Amino acid sequence: MKRKLFKQIRAEWRTNVWLALELLVVSVVLWYIIDYFYTTASIMVKPLGYDVEHCYKLMFNTVTDKSPSYIPDRTTEEDIADAREILSRMEHLPFVEAASISHNSHPYNGSSSGIKLRYDTIYNPHYLPNKMVTPGFLKVFRCVGLGGETPEQLAGIIERNELILGGNVFFDKRYLPENMIGCKFYCDNDTTMTITLGAAIKPMRDSEYVEWGNTAITGMTDIGYTYASEYCVRVFPDKDTNIEEQLMNMSESLFHVGNRLLVNVTSFKNIRQNYQQAQANQVRDMVFLMCFLLLNIFLGLFGTFWFRTQQRSQEIAIRIAMGASRGDIFRRLLSEGLILLLLITPVAVAFDCFMAFNELNTYSMDGYFITDRMIVTCGATFVLIALMIVGGIWIPADKARRVEPAITLKDE
Amino acid sequence: MIKETIYNLRRQPVVAAITIVGTALSIFLIMVFVMMNQVKVSPFAPESNRDRFMHYNWVSFRMINWDEGDSSNGPMSWRIVNELFYTFKAAEAVTAYTPYPDIKSVGLTGERPCPTEVRETDVAYFDVFDFSFISGKPFSREDFEAGIPVAVIDSNVARNLFGTERAEGKTFLINGGEYRVSGVVKPVSPLAKRAYAQVWINTMSTDSPMTSWSEIGGRYTVTMLRPDGKSPDDFRADFAGHLESYKKNLEIMYCEIINHNRPYTQEQVVAGDYANIEPDVSSYRRIGYTIYAILLLVPAINLASMTHSRMRKRVSEMAVRRAFGATRLSVFMDIIAENMLVTLLGGAIGLLLSVIAAFGFSGLFFTPMYGNSLSPITVNPAMLLQWSTFGLALLFCFVLNMLSAGLPAIQMSRLNIVNSLRGGANK
Repeated sequence: MKRKLFKQIRAEWRTNVWLALELLVVSVVLWYIIDYFYTTASIMVKPLGYDVEHCYKLMFNTVTDKSPSYIPDRTTEEDIADAREILSRMEHLPFVEAASISHNSHPYNGSSSGIKLRYDTIYNPHYLPNKMVTPGFLKVFRCVGLGGETPEQLAGIIERNELILGGNVFFDKRYLPENMIGCKFYCDNDTTMTITLGAAIKPMRDSEYVEWGNTAITGMTDIGYTYASEYCVRVFPDKDTNIEEQLMNMSESLFHVGNRLLVNVTSFKNIRQNYQQAQANQVRDMVFLMCFLLLNIFLGLFGTFWFRTQQRSQEIAIRIAMGASRGDIFRRLLSEGLILLLLITPVAVAFDCFMAFNELNTYSMDGYFITDRMIVTCGATFVLIALMIVGGIWIPADKARRVEPAITLKDE
Repeated sequence: MIKETIYNLRRQPVVAAITIVGTALSIFLIMVFVMMNQVKVSPFAPESNRDRFMHYNWVSFRMINWDEGDSSNGPMSWRIVNELFYTFKAAEAVTAYTPYPDIKSVGLTGERPCPTEVRETDVAYFDVFDFSFISGKPFSREDFEAGIPVAVIDSNVARNLFGTERAEGKTFLINGGEYRVSGVVKPVSPLAKRAYAQVWINTMSTDSPMTSWSEIGGRYTVTMLRPDGKSPDDFRADFAGHLESYKKNLEIMYCEIINHNRPYTQEQVVAGDYANIEPDVSSYRRIGYTIYAILLLVPAINLASMTHSRMRKRVSEMAVRRAFGATRLSVFMDIIAENMLVTLLGGAIGLLLSVIAAFGFSGLFFTPMYGNSLSPITVNPAMLLQWSTFGLALLFCFVLNMLSAGLPAIQMSRLNIVNSLRGGANK
């Protein structure tokens, strides 16, 4: 039976070559896409290092000097006091759990400020973003200490003007921040400016799609209040309804302090969606491409096998007349497609490996070629294509199963 | 020819349907991809000059006492706009504006204000971008230089504030300050990234010209118009020369500008709008070509297999044609032409579907990166249906046809007449 099947595949080699070629191309491209999904998904499930659920950002603008309510000649001290007053008012709102002011710091942020830290001969070799924050920041975004510190304890560390470091900022496993608590670091190559490391936290990842996320966190300086523009709040989960509207209604009464005026409130859900739009667009494109490839496999096999069963109706009729069960006919057609897939799979896997070795697939911090990942992604590619093959051949094969030998052979 | 093609398609309806669906699917996705690219790169109002745009999107600089490799990257100061860009005579026009619209409180006295996207611009902005004015006009150079609070607003804002689109001369509040409407324009789609806002105000009426760090960094981005006939490379070379002559002014400020081969064309900015890295257009194009190749090649293999199957049934017909004197070339051309009709039919369906999808699901297909905008993503026929769109669709159909029918047609034209008529070459 099997030998006959191979003979038949050989006999139809011209169309089978087309099919095999198509399966090969699709298999390689599909593997690339599945590898991309696998890598993206495995990054997405890693802990983020923060939590933005029930968080909102308040945007303040300066009232223009043309406004009747504009206060001219505001001093820097008054400006700092205004910012502190806004923070205090945010903290006292009945629905607010925690509030903070920060500069280039909140999650999903296109901007960052850097800091250079040095302890003896240990320093950060790469750009290290620095989050300049008021203590509430750790509570708003619920950062977690590697030593089990709660957000409240971490806030206390910032209150004491100490430094918090995340992850492996020195890119060297020997110098992990968690083992350096209490060390005094020089800031920005200035030996007179030192700061004590108070805690290490779980790395705050840049976004759901990005693995990387090393950071330093330092307390807000007085002058920082004059330009820091991120006013964030966390609201109690049971009171998280219509927050934007509620806050905007207080714009004139509560949040017009000095020359600062609340102009807009955005939820972090929106900020996150906006920040990750580029990656979300990429995922969308990949989904489209994958559907397109699978549909093509389906169409290709459906068309070819439809034609084949038409051509072979007499042969099938004779088989049935000679005692082959209808299930046999059905299985035989399905196996024809699956054998083709089995034949091209080693070649496709070789291509896949070649791509991974040459770093042409998706990057993850573990590298490009990882055996486990390779097995899962190649396996998933095989299963998906096999399903499409079965789907594509099903209808023509079902039609073949229903061939009535008497009628078909009578025509003959 | 058309009758014959229809007859042949009718004889094998399933194979014909699959051929048409396969072609339509391929052209559909390719055209969606083309349109996604088109809204980023091709000209449409008010960014009709995209072909000639030269963007100096961000400035990169370093103070001379900074560590090697350290730099500051971002929008630029009014001083740099004034001294370096407005003085660059090789450009047909130079405009400076805030790179993203800011959300501000916009309303009328005594009423609750509404968050609205406001962009600060200069006067040349309205020459570089071609807005359609419903009433009024852009603010004048005199108003601009005197720092008069004047604004151009879109018709939605005009209706919300004043209940009419004829709002020229009326006043309203932005962050508590009174502004006079100088003109009302048609709303702009957020896809015109540099023109988009809901309100455009005179930047001299704000404190932005005074905002800067290290004299170089500030609040502005610059777009210049390249004169017709000058290539982007020549324009860049002119700018590099101009920057060189400005160097002594920078030395007084103890800093240097890292030019990164700026200014960039629209395509370069689309390939990567980073503040500190030069965009890699060739890699951007390579990705595009790879996607086109996959979208064409996979269905082409499929369709070639279908064409091959369809032709198998017509071996003897082809042999008869050859026996009666048809040349190989004419048989080849017949098959290609016949197939082209099918491809065009599928292509037309695909193009139609892509246009329907583009209009129906514009939010899904065209969401720009960092596109946090208060206005919905809208597309209009002028953006999506350009002559180039049809040209490309036709080109892709032709390529698809050649790929899918070329090989089967060659095989058919080389048939041995005697064997075919006898039924022996039925492969």
